[in-house]
Amino acid sequence: MNLSKIQEIFSAQSKNYLILFALFILPFTISLSQISSDNNLLSPKNRLKFGDYLYKEKDYLRAAGEYKEYLKTSNNDTVQFKFANSFFKIGRFIEATDNFKGLFFNSLLSEEARLMFYESNFFRNNFKTFRELADQSNYKTVKYHDEIERLKFTTYFFDDAILPDENIILKPFPDSVQSQLSQFYYQKKFPKQKSITTAAIFSAIIPGAGKIYTGEIGDGITTFISTALSAYLAYTNFNADHQFRGWLFTGLTAFFYGGSIYGSAASAQIYNARIRFNFENEVKVYFEQRDYFLPKIDF
Amino acid sequence: MMARLLISFLFITEISCAQTERVKWESQQVSYELPALQHHYYTIDKSSFGLSILSVARNAYYFFISDLDGDNCAFSPSCSTFYLQAIKETSVFKGTLMFADRFTRDINFFKGSGHYLLLPSNKFFDPPYNYTLHSEKIKY
Amino acid sequence: MNIRLSIISFLLLFSLVSKGQDHLTLWYNHANNLFNNKLHYDAVTEYKRVLFFDSTKSYHYSANYKIGESYKAGAKFDEAIRYFSFAELNARDREEIFQTKAQIIRANILRKTTARAVQLCDELEKDGRFVDKRDTINYWRGWAFMFANEWQSAANSFALINPSHELKLLAERTEKAKVSVTFAKVISYILPGAGAIYSGKFLSGLMSLGWNALAGYWTINSFIEKRAFDGIVVGELVWLRFYRGAIRNAEDIAIEKNLETANKSLRFLQNEYKGIKP
Repeated sequence: MNLSKIQEIFSAQSKNYLILFALFILPFTISLSQISSDNNLLSPKNRLKFGDYLYKEKDYLRAAGEYKEYLKTSNNDTVQFKFANSFFKIGRFIEATDNFKGLFFNSLLSEEARLMFYESNFFRNNFKTFRELADQSNYKTVKYHDEIERLKFTTYFFDDAILPDENIILKPFPDSVQSQLSQFYYQKKFPKQKSITTAAIFSAIIPGAGKIYTGEIGDGITTFISTALSAYLAYTNFNADHQFRGWLFTGLTAFFYGGSIYGSAASAQIYNARIRFNFENEVKVYFEQRDYFLPKIDF
Repeated sequence: MMARLLISFLFITEISCAQTERVKWESQQVSYELPALQHHYYTIDKSSFGLSILSVARNAYYFFISDLDGDNCAFSPSCSTFYLQAIKETSVFKGTLMFADRFTRDINFFKGSGHYLLLPSNKFFDPPYNYTLHSEKIKY
Repeated sequence: MNIRLSIISFLLLFSLVSKGQDHLTLWYNHANNLFNNKLHYDAVTEYKRVLFFDSTKSYHYSANYKIGESYKAGAKFDEAIRYFSFAELNARDREEIFQTKAQIIRANILRKTTARAVQLCDELEKDGRFVDKRDTINYWRGWAFMFANEWQSAANSFALINPSHELKLLAERTEKAKVSVTFAKVISYILPGAGAIYSGKFLSGLMSLGWNALAGYWTINSFIEKRAFDGIVVGELVWLRFYRGAIRNAEDIAIEKNLETANKSLRFLQNEYKGIKP
C-alpha cells in the first residue's frame, strides 16, 4: 500500500468521523445535560410550566399545588400572585387573602395584590369587617384607591348598616350609573314595606283583611270565608239548641280568627323579607354585570 | 372526520359546562339503588315530656288516618309535622296559632301564585321558622 | 462504512429520544401506582403532567383514558365522559375506540342518564366496525335497562348474549316479583283497600276498608235521617277523602313494593355480583 492511498483512506475516514461528530455527538452531549434537567418533570422550571398550563385551563386547585411547590425553591412575584389568585378563583377567599398579603411589601405587584386582597375580603360577605379593613391605612392602595372606595360603598347595599348620605355613597361611581344607584339608594333607605301591626289590626276587624293588605288575596278570602262560615254554623247550632256542635263551631271560629290575626302579622313579615331579598338580588346582579366596577387583573 | 369534529365540538361544550374542582376529592362509591318514595317517619321527640306525648299523638294520627287518606297536603312539611315543629320552636299557644294559619292557607284553592318555593316533589316549601314573628329567622 | 455510519447515527438518535420517553414512562407508571392505590385526585394530576410533557403524543390515549377512569372512580361523571371523549380522539385503533365508547356508556349508567347509555349502545350496534362486540354492547345495554328499572328489557338484552345468562335470570326474577300497579289501582276503585292487600300490606288495606265502610255508613245514615248537610260534609270530608286515599295508597304501595324488589336486585349487583360492573 503506498502512502498516498493510506493518506486517502485516513482522510476519508476522518471526514466521516468529523461529520458524525458535528451532526450527532456534539449536540448529543449538549442536549444530554439539558435532558437531565428537562427529564425531571418536578424541576422548578417544569412545575412552573405545568402550573401555568393548568391555570390557563382553569384547573386552579392543581395549579395552586404546582405553584406552591415552585415557590418553595424560587421567589417570583407573578407566581405568588397567581397562586393567591387560584384560591380566589375557586372561592377559597380566606387562603386568597392570606397569600395576597404576602405581596404587600417589596413587590412590584404590591398594588394589585392589595386590590385583590380587598376583593377577596369583599366576597367573604362580612361587609362590616370589610368597611373596617377599607379604612385601615396599612392595607390601603394608592393606585386602586377609587376601586376600594367603590367596593366599600357597595357594601352598604348588602347589609343593614346605617346608610351614609347619598352624595357620599354615590361619589366614587361613574356618572353613567349615578341615576340607577340613586334609585337603589332610595329603595334601600325607604323600602316599600308593610306594617305588621297594621296587618294584625286589619285582620282583627275583618278576618282576612290583613292578608289582603299584604297581597295574599286568596288566603285573605279563604280566611274570611272559613271564619264567617264557622261563626254562622256556631250561631245556627246554638239557635237549634245543639250545644255540643255550637261550642265545636265556636272553637273553630276562634281557631280561624286567631290564626287570621297571627297569620296576617307573619305574612307582613314575609312580605318585607321578600322585598329585601328581591332588592338584594337585583343589586347583586347589577354589580355582577359590571364586575363591581373593578379592573380585570390577570396574567 | 365528521365524528372527530362532532367529538371536538362536544368536548368544547363540555369544557364550558365542567365544574371547577374546589377541594381535593376522594373516591366515591355510587349507590345503584333507586330513590325510595317519601315516607312518614314514626319518631318520638324525647327532648321534653310534652313533646314526647305530642309526637306519640302525631304517630297515632299518621297510623290511623294520615297513612290511609292519601297525600293531601300541598305543603312540605305536612301540616301535622308543621304543627309539631312549630310547638318545638315556639310554644303550644303560638304553635297552635301558626298551625291555624297554616290550615287556612292549606284550604285555599289558589295557593301558590309564586309565593312559595316549589320543591321537586311538587310540594310547596313552607317551613315553620318563617312564621315565628322573628324576622331574622326568615329564610326567603 | 456508510452502513456502519448509519447504524451508529441511528442508535445515537434513538437513545436521545428514548432518554426523554423513558422518563415519561417512569412518570406514567408513577401515576398508575397512585391510581392503583385509589389516590385518584393525585393520579389525575400526574396523568395531566404526563400529557403536558408528552410532545410525541404517545401517552395521549392512555393518559386521557386513565384520567377518565379516575374521575369515574370519584363519581365525577361529567369530567369522566369528557376525558374518555378526549381519549377517543387520540385512539390508535378500533379496539381503543371501542374501549372508550364502552367507558362513556358505563359512566352514563352510573350517572343514571340511562336513556343516553341505551342510545349510545344502539349507535355502537349500528357501527359496522364493532360487529364482533355485540355481546359487550348487549351487556352494557342490559345494565342500562336495569338501572332504568326496566327489567324485562334488561332480560331481553342479556338473553341475546346467552339464554341462560346469570343477569338474564336475575332480571326475569325481578320482573316476575313485581306487582301490577294498574291492577292495584283498579281493584281499589271497586273495593277500597283491596289494592293494598294485593300488594302485601294487609293491615293498611283492612284499615282503609274499615274507614270507607264507616264513613259510608255515616253518610248514608245522615241522608236517611234527612240531615243532608251532615251527609254532604261527612261524605266530602271523610268518605271521599278515604276513598281517594285508598286508591292513591294502592298505587303508592304497589310502586314502593316494586321499588324494593328492584333495589334488592340492585343491592345484589352492587355488593355480591362478581361480574364486570359499570
